[in-house]
Amino acid sequence: MSQAGPHPEVQPVPGREDLRLRIEARIRRMERASLYGLWSMVLFLLVSFAAYDGFSIFPALTEDAHKFLGAPPPGEMISLALVVYAFSSIVRTLARMSRNIQPYMGLMHAAFFAAFYAFYHLSGILQDNFWAVFFAGISVMGLENYYLWSHSSAAVRKERALLDSMRRNGDEERG
Amino acid sequence: MFSSINSRAIVPVACAVTGFVIACCVLLYTFVKEDLVKGEIQHAADLADTVIKSTRYAMLKDDRETLSNIIISIGEQNQVEHVRIFNKKGLIMLSRDPREVDRFIDKSAAGCTECHAGPVPKRSLGTMDQARQFTNQKGRDVLAITAPIYNEPECSNAACHFHDAGQSLLGTLDIGVSQTPLKQTLGHLQNRMIMFSGMVLVLTVGAVCAVLYSQVFLPIKKLVDFTEASQGDILDDDFPEVSGEMARLADAFQKMNSRVRDLERRDKAKGSESTSPESLL
Repeated sequence: MSQAGPHPEVQPVPGREDLRLRIEARIRRMERASLYGLWSMVLFLLVSFAAYDGFSIFPALTEDAHKFLGAPPPGEMISLALVVYAFSSIVRTLARMSRNIQPYMGLMHAAFFAAFYAFYHLSGILQDNFWAVFFAGISVMGLENYYLWSHSSAAVRKERALLDSMRRNGDEERG
Repeated sequence: MFSSINSRAIVPVACAVTGFVIACCVLLYTFVKEDLVKGEIQHAADLADTVIKSTRYAMLKDDRETLSNIIISIGEQNQVEHVRIFNKKGLIMLSRDPREVDRFIDKSAAGCTECHAGPVPKRSLGTMDQARQFTNQKGRDVLAITAPIYNEPECSNAACHFHDAGQSLLGTLDIGVSQTPLKQTLGHLQNRMIMFSGMVLVLTVGAVCAVLYSQVFLPIKKLVDFTEASQGDILDDDFPEVSGEMARLADAFQKMNSRVRDLERRDKAKGSESTSPESLL
């Protein structure tokens, strides 16, 4: 540690210093990854907030835009797709948790749930189905974020323990 | 809070199950509501059709008094909020409420715009398009059906009055039924679904918690206590009945503890031999 003071007679080992820097960079990267999870959750909540109000913050679609988009899909099909998507996302996240695989898909989930809001809105049945999308999104993204947070926390703890161990060894060599 | 194995195992399960069950219940409620409303619209359309067929003979005979009596009798039925017949120009000819007679219908009002949105009004609508839902002046939720009364050969050929064969629409029947019973049914359904979802959640999360606690958390806690205290070679009697990996782990812990204590005893024995007066001589 820095309190140990300089020992001019002991030169720092270049390989060890490089390793320390790499560990610190990994810790910073993992801490940033946890924040990405929070950002995607905030994005989803902002979209939900706009959807709750029927996307009134956006201008209404023109007749031409409606014609270009075509007929909206039936409400039953959107709901079926929502259930299948939420179910498969939860199963995939639980499977990744059990196998300890990290890839995070929070932003993709936020985009998909925003698309569900948009489809319901264009079909004119968003008011009836808002809470279904909201709770499905909260459960999928909550689980994803919880896994990301717990995985990153465990990895950061491990890296910090490694860093401490390196510092202790360095102090012993100097001492 | 999330450092213990209990919370780390239970929180994700509770989170995923709760959110998914709530989302599915909301969707199920929406489906059931949609089906009930469709049924109610069909029922109101059938009622409108019955009214038109019941009044057909009186219309052919141009018997205004009988027509008026039929409309008033139907209007007095429970759950019927309004009944009126207006002509092609929108002038109310007959109504349950006598104050409405000889007044014009607002063509821009809800229910009229389905046909009168464009410059040329639509000739026919599907059953679902004929329906409109609104809150009336008494503050009651109403489901109304506007059913067209078309010109038929008997109408244009009748000797009594003046409809020519080229006139396709003679008038419109507008009947509104109260949505209070439907709202009550939906309210009961909502409450029952909330109760059912709550019970499913409590049972699912509770069952997972109970199984995890008895099969994993409690044995681990006992093993940790046993390892830290190290006051015997075998586990206490209150160690839960476990099988599989947990039983093997408990067995391995006991054997390891026994070996450690054995080594400690030997070490002590060696130490006492080396410090005894005989060994010093």
